[in-house]
Formats: sequence, C-alpha cells, structure tokens
Amino acid sequence: MGHPRGPSLLVVMLLMFVVWLVVFIGIFRGWRWIPLLALANLAYTLLVLRIHMTDPIPLNF
Amino acid sequence: MAPDRAVLLSRLINIVALLGLIGVLAGSLHLQFGVGEQPCPLCIVQRSGMIGLAVGPIMNLLWGMNPRHYALSILAAVVGAAGSTRQILLHIADPNDPGYGPEVFGWHLYTWALVTFIVAIVGCALLIMWQAPFTAGDRGVLHDAHPLRPLVTGAIVWLSLLVIIWIFIDLAVIGVYILPECGLGECPDDPANTAGLAEPWGWIAVLSAGIVAAVIAAVLERRWKAKQAAGS
Repeated sequence: MGHPRGPSLLVVMLLMFVVWLVVFIGIFRGWRWIPLLALANLAYTLLVLRIHMTDPIPLNF
Repeated sequence: MAPDRAVLLSRLINIVALLGLIGVLAGSLHLQFGVGEQPCPLCIVQRSGMIGLAVGPIMNLLWGMNPRHYALSILAAVVGAAGSTRQILLHIADPNDPGYGPEVFGWHLYTWALVTFIVAIVGCALLIMWQAPFTAGDRGVLHDAHPLRPLVTGAIVWLSLLVIIWIFIDLAVIGVYILPECGLGECPDDPANTAGLAEPWGWIAVLSAGIVAAVIAAVLERRWKAKQAAGS
C-alpha cells in the first residue's frame, strides 16, 4: 500500500532529529522546559510511526 | 551506601548505559556508511527512540540524579519498542519474508533494537527503585560543591562529556544524512543502497566521532577545572 509523498509537516522525518538537537543543546544550557519538548518529540515520533502503519498485519496468528 | 558514593556509582552506570547506546548507534551508522545499507522509515523511528533513550542519562549526568529523567527514558524506550515491534510483526506475518537488512548474530537489527529497548525499560525501573542517589542533592557532574577526589571527579566529568558529545555528533550525522535520503518529507519505504566506504574505512569513519568527542570533552573539562580553581 502506498502513502502520500512529498513535503508535509506531519511526515518531515528530519524534524525529529532537529528537535533532538535542540533538546541536547537545551540540556547543556539548563533550560528547564526541555523535558516537555522531549515528550512532545516522542509524541511526534509516535505520530510518524502511525502514519507509516499502512500495511495491514493479521494479528491473529 | 553513603549518598556521595551512591551518586558516583549511579553516574558510572549512566555513563556505561550511554556507551552501550553509542555501540548500538555505531552499529547502525556502520551499516549506513560502511556497508551502504540506507535506513528505512521504521529504522529512523527506532533511531529517534534510541536518541530519546539517551536523554534521561544525559540529564542525570548534567542536571543531577532524578527519577523523572529515568521516566523520560522509559517513555522513549516504549516509543522505540513500538517501532521495532511493528517492524518485527511486518516481517514475520509472511513466512517467506526474509526480513529487512542483514542479520547480526542471527537476528535482524530491529529485533536487537527491541531487545535494547526492553533492557532499557527494565534497567531504568530498577534504578528508580534505588533511592539513595536521589536523596544526595546531586546537581550534576559540573556542579559538585565538594568533589570526592579531584582526579576521580575530573575523570568522571571527562567521561560524561565524552559520551554526551559522541551521541550529539552521531545525532547530527543521522540528521544531516536524512536530508539527501528523505528531503523535507517522508523517507522511501525501501531506500536504494549506496556504495559503502568498505572496511576498514567504515569503522574508522564511525569511530572517528569518538576521537573528536574525546578531544572536545578534554578541552571542556580543562575549562571546567580552571573555572573550579578560580571559584575556590
């Protein structure tokens, strides 16, 4: 099964790593809101995973 | 165990955990640059989980021991495990499916990734149960008011910075090389392989990140020492 390609904010996989870079810099700088950004990035990673779950898997094996 | 010693042991455990994570990342980067096997979208999701896994120990080392940091790593491990479980299920649903990518010691990398995530969840849960490091008022390796021994403290600071910077470099490399593969969009399901650097250049390229990290860590540790000396 195919899925839409091309630029879309929901599927910019690069974004996950850009945010991780910000998280790392934030830890060094001592920004106290960084754990929230890390949580948001984990949620975004899950969203990217969900978008990629296009092939059905029979879970009754 | 005295709180100071508990913090020291806890720091060493966090450093070893980060070294293990570096090993996993080095293996995947060697596959990408040495062998030429480009990462699939699910592999990239799992890499994001691996980087998230590192955030907890890094916060522990730089901000001080806190159960919330381990909790963050557990959540990252759950996200990464969701990716690797999805990939395992995809490839075992069809008995004729050979799986994606090469095998390492008989298992595919996504199976090893799931093992890593599960070990991380169990490890973090056990470390949360050990309360002594959390009650010592630790503020991180760079803020030790009364270091145990200057030599040990200096070595811990250098080691901590080394592993953190090494992971940071790996993260930057992963990010930079996603751009040509995926652009500003979704990565292809089955990316075309490229010509790898071949041995030993693949490993040399991957391990050179460690040498760069060691040098930067040594410079930062010297600056930290000078600051400590000026402050006392």
